Amino acid sequence: MNVPSAPFLFPKWTNLLRPALAVGAVAVALYAVIIVSYGFSPLTTDVGYAPEQPVPYSHALHAGQLGIDCRYCHTTVEEAAWAAIPPTQTCMNCHETIRADSRKLALVRQSSATGSPIRWVKVHDLPDYVYFDHSAHVNRGVGCVSCHGRVDRMEVVYQAEPLSMGWCLDCHRRPEKHLRPLESVTDMDWSPQEDRLEAGARLRKTLNVNPSTDCSTCHR
Amino acid sequence: MPPIEADGRAKDYWRSIEELYDLAPGSSRLPEHVLRTVWDTLSETSRRQFLKALGASIALAGLAGCRWPKEEILPFARRPEGRTPGVLVHYATAFELAGAATPLLVTSYDGRPIKVEGNPLHPFNLGACDRFAQASLLELYDPDRSTTPVERTPAQRVTRTWEDFAGSCRERFSALAARRGRGLVILAEASSSPTLARLKAGLRRKLPEARWFEYEPLSRDNEREGTAAVFGVPYRTHFALDRAKIIAAFDADLLLAHPAALSYARQFAAQRTAARGEMNRLYAVECAYTVTGAAADWRFPLAAGLIGSALVRLLAELVVNFDLALPPQAGNLGARLTSALGSPLDGLQLRALAGDLRRAGGRGVIAVGPSQPPLAHALACLLNEALGNVGQTVFYTPEPDPERPTHMVAIAEVAEAMRRGEVDTLVVLGGNPAYDSPADLEFADALRKVPVSVHLSLYEDETSRLCTWHLPRAHYLEAWGDARTYDGTISIVQPLIEPLFGGKSAIEVLSMISEENPRSGYELVRETFDGSVQDPDRERAWRVALHDGLVEKSAFAPAYPAPRWEMTGEIVGKLLAQNASERETLEIVFGESHASFDGRFATNAWLQELPDPLTKLAWENAAIVGPQTARSLGVETGGVLRLSYRGRELEIPAYVMPGQAEDSVFLALGHGRRSPAGRGSGFDTYALRHSAAPHFDRGLKAIFTGRRHRLACTQEHHLIDALGQRGEAQRLGRLVREGTVEEYRRDPEFARHRVHEPPLRSLWQEQEFSGHRWGMAIDLTACIGCNACVIACQAENNIPVVGKENVALGREMHWIRIDRYFSGSVERPRVLFQPVACHQCEHAPCEEVCPVAATQHSQEGLNEMVYNRCIGTRYCSNNCPYKVRRFNYFNYHTHPPEIEKMLHNPEVTVRSRGVMEKCTYCVQRISAVKVRAGNERRPIRDGEITPACAQTCPTQAIVFGDLADPQSRVAKLRQSPRAYAMLAELNVRPRTHYLAKLRNPIEEEKSA
Repeated sequence: MNVPSAPFLFPKWTNLLRPALAVGAVAVALYAVIIVSYGFSPLTTDVGYAPEQPVPYSHALHAGQLGIDCRYCHTTVEEAAWAAIPPTQTCMNCHETIRADSRKLALVRQSSATGSPIRWVKVHDLPDYVYFDHSAHVNRGVGCVSCHGRVDRMEVVYQAEPLSMGWCLDCHRRPEKHLRPLESVTDMDWSPQEDRLEAGARLRKTLNVNPSTDCSTCHR
Repeated sequence: MPPIEADGRAKDYWRSIEELYDLAPGSSRLPEHVLRTVWDTLSETSRRQFLKALGASIALAGLAGCRWPKEEILPFARRPEGRTPGVLVHYATAFELAGAATPLLVTSYDGRPIKVEGNPLHPFNLGACDRFAQASLLELYDPDRSTTPVERTPAQRVTRTWEDFAGSCRERFSALAARRGRGLVILAEASSSPTLARLKAGLRRKLPEARWFEYEPLSRDNEREGTAAVFGVPYRTHFALDRAKIIAAFDADLLLAHPAALSYARQFAAQRTAARGEMNRLYAVECAYTVTGAAADWRFPLAAGLIGSALVRLLAELVVNFDLALPPQAGNLGARLTSALGSPLDGLQLRALAGDLRRAGGRGVIAVGPSQPPLAHALACLLNEALGNVGQTVFYTPEPDPERPTHMVAIAEVAEAMRRGEVDTLVVLGGNPAYDSPADLEFADALRKVPVSVHLSLYEDETSRLCTWHLPRAHYLEAWGDARTYDGTISIVQPLIEPLFGGKSAIEVLSMISEENPRSGYELVRETFDGSVQDPDRERAWRVALHDGLVEKSAFAPAYPAPRWEMTGEIVGKLLAQNASERETLEIVFGESHASFDGRFATNAWLQELPDPLTKLAWENAAIVGPQTARSLGVETGGVLRLSYRGRELEIPAYVMPGQAEDSVFLALGHGRRSPAGRGSGFDTYALRHSAAPHFDRGLKAIFTGRRHRLACTQEHHLIDALGQRGEAQRLGRLVREGTVEEYRRDPEFARHRVHEPPLRSLWQEQEFSGHRWGMAIDLTACIGCNACVIACQAENNIPVVGKENVALGREMHWIRIDRYFSGSVERPRVLFQPVACHQCEHAPCEEVCPVAATQHSQEGLNEMVYNRCIGTRYCSNNCPYKVRRFNYFNYHTHPPEIEKMLHNPEVTVRSRGVMEKCTYCVQRISAVKVRAGNERRPIRDGEITPACAQTCPTQAIVFGDLADPQSRVAKLRQSPRAYAMLAELNVRPRTHYLAKLRNPIEEEKSA
């Protein structure tokens, strides 16, 4: 029988491995926390993003105080994917006579005179890879307020919701919370008489709302 | 006989000669691909560039990562009425090619045209469209198009404006008017535009000594000449294929290369329904394999020069063996006909055809192709008349402009006049004669002698470079015009966008040079329309014509002229004499290119990358030779031949095509352009064309140079090695299935009985599908392999073009490929087409292997690709039994010019490098209809959703719909006894089913 040779011993420097691994594990955990919290933070999703617009248009005044319906300006919302920003002409329908020489409206008058567009800054900006359709939502009882917040109280429009995929899916999985009768879609103040979820379930049935969570619903 | 393999089984379907004979097996083919791939992508410099780019992008990502880019919205100051941003609008217009229009419906997205489809309201095509019209969209956004008028002196090229040109032509043309137009020659491409005809007449009145010529390198003038010979004046021949029982095509590609092909293909396919008990029968005698030949129930390869004799033989068979009585004026043809029956003609037998035509009782069609000489057309007219086809399946309409010389005579006259110095002002309206006129005319040299020459064209091409003025032409989607379809129906060409590069149309330029007060295209077209319309409310009539895309009742009136029977003897004699020509040398045959037509689409990358239906060659042309001829020349596919003909030489690679007539070399025209745009794609075969024999001739000599050229042929992509093929043959069911009508009547389910399908059991839990179950059925009996669907898909889905090198490496991106299978002998094979796109398997093998769940199943059964998740492992492609997944090896959309971005369909994501993609069943169209139907609170109607491929299919071979609705067309087709699923035995449960092909073979070949 052979005499067994000296047993293999780990060299001394390997003693450092354990603390190194521990540090590494902490670093990984920290990294994960940072990434996740950064990913979900309003900083990333841009909640509260309120860029300055070229014309100091106040939704609080027009939609709130004066009570103009959303669809007076965003005319295409019921038939098209985009709730189009109104042409300058829409502004001039009233401002031809109302506050016709306000300094704040100089750019609007100029646009109307020259035909060159006003360069509005986009607030609700979905990734290019997302195909969102306003008409599909508005015609199925999802109110403007569900995604855009209380626009009627906004002096400057800001992004009220995260508009992230998880946020979209929440509603696509359980739409009851956000459904309302079609005639109240633009009503910022609407609330059901009965329980919100019960009303939603009933509406879901009558409006035949079956949101899909397939990838191709939004991505193609 | 097909070769028998070791196990005694015949290979009944083969994709290439190499596969049939197990030549160049995997051991030699694969490593070359692999090597080239590695070489191309991992060479030292590119690796370094990659690392550099990586570093740069990380740095940039750090800078840009904090905030989304600020985006702006620019609404109209004054929104046009009826315009909704982001909503597609469709406009009817028309595309004209070589004097015949295709009525179109063009989709516009926020003011830019993004998709060309056929006009569904027009009886001519009912929504179908061919590859050329669809791909013309790419031309609109081509950044290589010319942007300004250019004046050239021998020394320099000066950029000018339209005002400069107007100024210079005002002087010039007032001087010409003083001479009544002497010295002015206008060379125009063929046009059916009534407005152009009106302006031309005006110019003739004003400048009676000016000369007007029309030239097209690929023209149908032989038919004009032939009908003029038998009827006294030229007529246009029309067929009613939907009434025809027997169709005989003599070198005539009725289903693809014909101005009325869209119409004919639909009529033809509609009569191939054995289920209704009736099925037409198509005979094809032709030189090069065409899609008509592939659709034929009986095809015979015959040299182009012998087709005339074949027609005489048909006459002889009919008269001698089937007692066809000719009128007494025809004279006694007895001896000639007997001798015609006796000549060998490469073993051509036409008895079956003659018998069928006789039995059809006037429901037959004899068609002759445009490259055949006038006498062959004349004889076809007599045959159709004698058989009683005229009035039932054949009718004529008078040719417009009967006085004009033929295109070949015209171009020769222009060249001659220029050489003699008789031309002091030449106006070339479209076309590219310096490139596409026969070589012997030396048009380019003659053109240099002209003091002032003006060329209107989309590109600064070969002709522009020799003219003193080049004018940028407006694309048809940018300018007003009008055009007629083959049957004469007028369509208004309606622009969808302002000229992007400030071009002008031919009618506008003509008005500019010939009228005191030049008018806009709209005014000119409107004036023509108002002058011809009957309706007192002209504005209403105009709007209806614009909306519908056609002017009601403007088609030519059918005519039934009486032929001059006394010419029969002369025609027969002359045609037989042609047969006697020597056969020592090879025959040279010219024809249209599937990709370039006559060369005008040589710059169109969609068309260039489109594989030819028969040869499957992309990006280039080749000398097509038959297998025996190739053997005697000692050449294989890719071997470079030196062709010499009438003192001119050309080196061009050979392509060995089974079923090509032997001793005959087919050369597609329209490649090898010399101007910067389109250069480097193929070989310029015009260099061999001679005006005396522009279509075919004997006297060609060919020798193999010993060099090889790498052709990009797509059919052998995904082909596995010999061992794999044997396994495929043993273990897999037939991928393509076909049978005869008789077989179908005996056993309607023959296609399913072709394979023994074991009971299928799943390894996984079955997925439940709810709601709609989208599915597709592709009828192989109807499919003619015309490639229209491939281009439709490319345009709809933003599919990039990858270039010849990448196609050769098997990296083409087309979501649909059309597989071409041969069966039978190498000399006389049959061809079968099978379009293959993603089958949307219910048990999709691709989904099982994706490590990041980038490919998923929807509730409705769509196999979805999630581009953002894809990390490019390509496992899915590896595991796909149909090989329909495509990988973006490069970023084919890196920094495209702004103008190219306008082309993209905004409803479909533009994919980047490293992402897998594949057919989605046009999910964007499904979504759009679902949203619309939901908004209107109604169910989706069957047929409301049509993917781009199904929408454009001329034969309606592709049907899409909801399998959950038993009344839908697709569900009913799925129940058809002919329906089968490809590779069903793998239990992948494809949503796409095929309907087996049916042929109607003649008695003698029924056993085959």
